[in-house]
Amino acid sequence: MKPKKVLVVDDSKLLHRMFEMMLRQYPLIHAYDGREALERLAEHGDVDLILLDMNMPRMNGLEFLAAVKGKPETSHIHVVIVTTEGKEIDTDRGIKAGASAYVKKPFRNEELNTVINSLPGEGEQ
Amino acid sequence: MSPQDPQTLAAEVQGATKRANEVLKELASALERASSLAQSLNQAREPRRDGESPPQMEELTRRLADLESDRTELSTRLAEFEQQTGRLMNLYVATYQLHATLDPSEVQSTIGEIAVNLLGAERYALLFWKSEGNECEVALSQDLEHDPGNLFAGRTYGGGDPAVDATLSDGVLRIGPIEGSEALAVVPLTVQGTTVGALVLLKLFDHKASLRPDDRDLLDLLAAHAASALFAARVYATTDRKLKTLESLVKLVRRGGA
Repeated sequence: MKPKKVLVVDDSKLLHRMFEMMLRQYPLIHAYDGREALERLAEHGDVDLILLDMNMPRMNGLEFLAAVKGKPETSHIHVVIVTTEGKEIDTDRGIKAGASAYVKKPFRNEELNTVINSLPGEGEQ
Repeated sequence: MSPQDPQTLAAEVQGATKRANEVLKELASALERASSLAQSLNQAREPRRDGESPPQMEELTRRLADLESDRTELSTRLAEFEQQTGRLMNLYVATYQLHATLDPSEVQSTIGEIAVNLLGAERYALLFWKSEGNECEVALSQDLEHDPGNLFAGRTYGGGDPAVDATLSDGVLRIGPIEGSEALAVVPLTVQGTTVGALVLLKLFDHKASLRPDDRDLLDLLAAHAASALFAARVYATTDRKLKTLESLVKLVRRGGA
């Protein structure tokens, strides 16, 4: 897919800067925890991809994912979990909760781009 | 690669990205030529009415082999450029973020974020020599409660790991395995030639088997930039605090005189 707008949800400023460098071709929206991410999502109705960390203050990644997938107006948005939690049980939990893909930190630029490119675009699902 | 300033790194990232894009264009052009050649080849393969093989067949087959070889070489170069761009991006972002703030706790957090998010450290300890005594304080850490060596308990490190002790003493970066040490890497934190502490990587995430060769650049960068960024932030914080105290005093004196 070629995302229209990407919401980056991570409590690390370093990672936000990293995504800015890696995904220069896409407009990015930033949030530092799940609650802030829900606010950003309400403001930007055209977000079609979310890059989501798991361990965050206030509202963690899984809680945010459940909120996104539970609303008809946001349930179609692709969510890629980008996290340090790399065990199979973690991956399964994320995918079962509705994530489209899982990327383990630390990751390489090309890994992330390959995952994004492999996601089905609008009308291809 | 020696640690560099953010501007140089940014220019290198741009250069590498430009070169990768050029290779990508060459690759696309090679693929286009291969496709058109394959089409010609298919047409040429169709048997002629007189039963003889078409004369250009050999030439087309040779050109197709050349193109295939070009494509393979360009794909390899592209992968190399992508890897180089990613490596430079990591270095640029790490340097940028270390110097992006004058808040000491934020600089410390950035060092931790680099250890976890860019190097893949599940367990680490950031040590600084205490101003008095022969101990280091554990300024920041992760997962130390599972540390089998238990050398960093009580938020202090009093020595005991040969690699950590050696680096704290001579300021040399050490990468494991090191006999008798549980550290995977010990990064000296040095300001103006004085070792003020060390970042000790104790365990990587299970999905990262070992430190990669390009992680060495990041470790070098931390050794060169982390302590000076933190030192600058601490000096600024101290000066700022003193300035504010003085301002309050001046206000009090003025009020008293009024």
